[in-house]
Amino acid sequence: MSEKLQQIINKQHKTLSGDDVKIDEVIQLVGFIVGDEEFSVPILSIQEIIKPISWTRVPQTPNYILGVFNLRGAVIPLIDLRSRFGLETIKHTEETRFIVMKNGDDVAGFVIDRLTEAIRLPKKDVGPAPDTINEEDSMIDGVGKQSDRIITILKVDKLLERNF
Amino acid sequence: MDEFQEILQDFLVESFELIEQLDQDLVELESRPDDLDLLNRIFRVAHTIKGASSFLNFDVLTHLTHHMENLLNMARHGDLVIDADVMDVILESIDLMKALLGRIRDCGEDSGLEVEPCVLRLDAVANGTAIPSSAPAVAPAPEPVPEPVVQNVSEEEADYSGMSEEEVEAEIERLIAVRQAEDAAKRANKAPSASSEEEPDYSGMSEEEVEAEIERLIAIRQAEDAAKRSNKAATNESEEKKPEPVASAPVPVSAPVVVAKPEPIAPKAAPAPRKVESKDEGEGRGGASAVEQTIRVDVKRLDHLMNLIGELVLGKNRLIKINDDVEERYEGEAFLEELNQVVSIVSLVTTDLQIAVMKTRMLPIGKVFNKFPRMIRDLSRELNKKIELEITGEETELDKSIVEEIGDPLVHIIRNSCDHGIETPEIRLAAGKEEMGTIQLKAYHEGNHIVIQIIDDGKGLDAEMLKLKSIEKGIITEKEADTMSEKEAFGLIFRPGFSTAAQVTSVSGRGVGMDVVKTNIEKLNGMIDIDSEVGRGTSMKLKIPLTLAIIQALLVGVQEEYYAIPLASVLETVRISKDEIYTVENRSVMRLRDEVLSLVHIGDIFEVERVFDNSEHAYVVVLGLAESKIGLIVDSLVGQEEIVIKSLGEYLKGIDGIAGATIRGDGGVTLIVDVAALMQMAKSVKSTVGQESAESKNRSGAKNSASDYCVMIVDDSKTDRTIMRKSIEPMGITIVEATDGVEALNILKQGDHNFDGMLIDIEMPRMDGYTLAAEIKKYNKYKNLALIAVTSRTGKADRMRGVESGMVEYITKPYSPEYLMSVVKRNIKFNEGL
Repeated sequence: MSEKLQQIINKQHKTLSGDDVKIDEVIQLVGFIVGDEEFSVPILSIQEIIKPISWTRVPQTPNYILGVFNLRGAVIPLIDLRSRFGLETIKHTEETRFIVMKNGDDVAGFVIDRLTEAIRLPKKDVGPAPDTINEEDSMIDGVGKQSDRIITILKVDKLLERNF
Repeated sequence: MDEFQEILQDFLVESFELIEQLDQDLVELESRPDDLDLLNRIFRVAHTIKGASSFLNFDVLTHLTHHMENLLNMARHGDLVIDADVMDVILESIDLMKALLGRIRDCGEDSGLEVEPCVLRLDAVANGTAIPSSAPAVAPAPEPVPEPVVQNVSEEEADYSGMSEEEVEAEIERLIAVRQAEDAAKRANKAPSASSEEEPDYSGMSEEEVEAEIERLIAIRQAEDAAKRSNKAATNESEEKKPEPVASAPVPVSAPVVVAKPEPIAPKAAPAPRKVESKDEGEGRGGASAVEQTIRVDVKRLDHLMNLIGELVLGKNRLIKINDDVEERYEGEAFLEELNQVVSIVSLVTTDLQIAVMKTRMLPIGKVFNKFPRMIRDLSRELNKKIELEITGEETELDKSIVEEIGDPLVHIIRNSCDHGIETPEIRLAAGKEEMGTIQLKAYHEGNHIVIQIIDDGKGLDAEMLKLKSIEKGIITEKEADTMSEKEAFGLIFRPGFSTAAQVTSVSGRGVGMDVVKTNIEKLNGMIDIDSEVGRGTSMKLKIPLTLAIIQALLVGVQEEYYAIPLASVLETVRISKDEIYTVENRSVMRLRDEVLSLVHIGDIFEVERVFDNSEHAYVVVLGLAESKIGLIVDSLVGQEEIVIKSLGEYLKGIDGIAGATIRGDGGVTLIVDVAALMQMAKSVKSTVGQESAESKNRSGAKNSASDYCVMIVDDSKTDRTIMRKSIEPMGITIVEATDGVEALNILKQGDHNFDGMLIDIEMPRMDGYTLAAEIKKYNKYKNLALIAVTSRTGKADRMRGVESGMVEYITKPYSPEYLMSVVKRNIKFNEGL
């Protein structure tokens, strides 16, 4: 009897841990468009997403740093991803959003053209960044493949790293 | 162990406080060697530290302080005259004591420093000049008691583990014997004050008696500690061997003695020194109760409190702003009154709260000043000069963080005054001055600032000499020297690498000191003002804001941006016309009364795009920091506001010229100007003051077809817009419509079209035609944009207003389509030939 019980318990254990493994294998991302491309960042690195509000220009900074804005009492830098990626800047539209990302104590807002969706991607569908990109300086963490599209996953720590 | 740590902390805090006072007292003592009060106070410090350290078993410290106490006691009884040599030894021993305390604080033990030579010197001084009979009477008597016991402790402790049972027993027996001997001694001691045995009347005792009592209590405590330890060891050992019997038997015998004793003794021991202390405090400050009313608070908590207050101030600013807006919109409504009241109460309380919290962080500057009498004394002996220090206003309070920063600069300035300022006695006498040089150290409040003034009556600064030296050292060029005012020349002493001392002494002359002064004062947003007269002396004035976290700022506007300048650095603001700005060697300058002030445009420093028209007038904010001055040209002055400094965060830190950011009443972020950095930047910025931006000239490109012309129609009525459109459409030009002033302005700013003309209705919601026109004319690049009013208002006053706001034509409704077209054509210079 007790052996049987043990077996059942073992079995249950297996299925449970098996589920765990499955959950682990899926990564959750938030996708957004900058220029013509779809990018994404891990959902856990996003503090919040807000509609554009006014910001203050900060002198002596590269032009992709738009300035700083007030997020409920905190002064946060605002970075335009279009010019950060070397694309032409456009006017903010109805769909423009600020994505506030954080990595430890580093926080910054990023201007994106529009949001797409939250994406659940099995880990096996994520490939490494193309070889042509220099490993060290790359902002790309990997490339996710979903049925008909390719999603670039960005390194949040690289985005939040000051490089001037 | 925690309890011990707590006691140790208290001990250290108390000791350092006592020592701070000590230095000053000692120097005073030298000038008034027969001041018994002073002597008593000093004696008590040594005594208190000795007592406490022996409690905590810091043998080396106890040893040292004991000998100090000994010496001071002799002086107190008049058996020893304190002269400079004796003082040197005393001061040396106090330095040593400080070092020991420092070691205790850092590593928890008082070993590692050699005190013996100092102790020997102390003894030598004591014996050399003392009447032999009195010295041993007071000093050695108590000494043997603590010393051997302490030694016993260390010996015994090492041994116990190795002892056999018999040995342990023998040891316990011995301890009991010691204890009994002590008891006998105690009884003997008590005999003189027999009447006060039950409830000792300490106040009735003479000081010696109190001391003897304390000494005795300490000895007992130490003996007990030793006994307790030995007991513990014994118990442990016995327990290891067998649970209950033989060995444990003697333990209870001594245990009651040990346990019972401390109870009555400990409380006695505590009040005894306290009473003496508080009596003294009472005399000193005029109220013994004041001592009980203080509480020690961790600085972190105060910092946190200050941060919270900062947030509250921001909230208050915001509330005031909203209140103003609401007032405007709902004028005359009943609830406004109530809202007004609430807002003013909140803002009042916030301000009070802020002041109250600021005050909790305030420390008297005396904390810093206290170390200077000693420093002056040492310096004057070292330099063979006679210098007297006069301190006033040491009770002036300022923020703790500033007190910590101000010490170093003051040390440098005072050293400098001693070394370079005050002359040797011979020279002074020859110059007809008093032999004794005086340095005055003053502190006082002036508005939101504290002013610290250091005045010496030495030889003064020689501007010419300073200039020559600087040229020699390559700090400035000869050309610069020629244009330098006297004040600017004085400022040279703050340049790195500058030293006027002919030779480097241990005191100064290495050319780093005054540079440090400047950086430190700048860090505090302070100003330095030097005044000097050759042969008469030098006065240095440090002006420092009271607090750092929440500051008053002047908000200035440049084009469409705003910046906050710490008011502490603002000397004045002046309105000038462009003609008053001169250019000297590519730099803009202006005359301000009898001074020449160099100017820099804030827009040049912060790379602000010039979109607005330069008006005839400009505002100059005169900034002063440390000893330098500069005029900052801004477009407008917004006003004074209380701001809370927030950092820009890791990502944007360290940007030149920006000290941080603050959040304004409207929720927007305003950057705070770093005045020190701005002054540095001003040196390398190319001046563009008075130059027009060339950009606008190329804007109106060539027109090749009718559709290159672009006109905007601004009217809130759809019908009116359609009529206008129909009238000018035949021309084939591009037409854009807007429904009100705000929208029109936005379309204009977006810059999608290059407009040649605008047809503007006057009466519109949100922003009317006049305001729109005025707004547009602010921009440099729209100078040539033709604004045509199309309105049903026909009054002359309306026409006048139209012209004032920058309209070129005024068309009254109704009008014929042909008329409108011709007016538009004329104003946008429409080329029919296309």
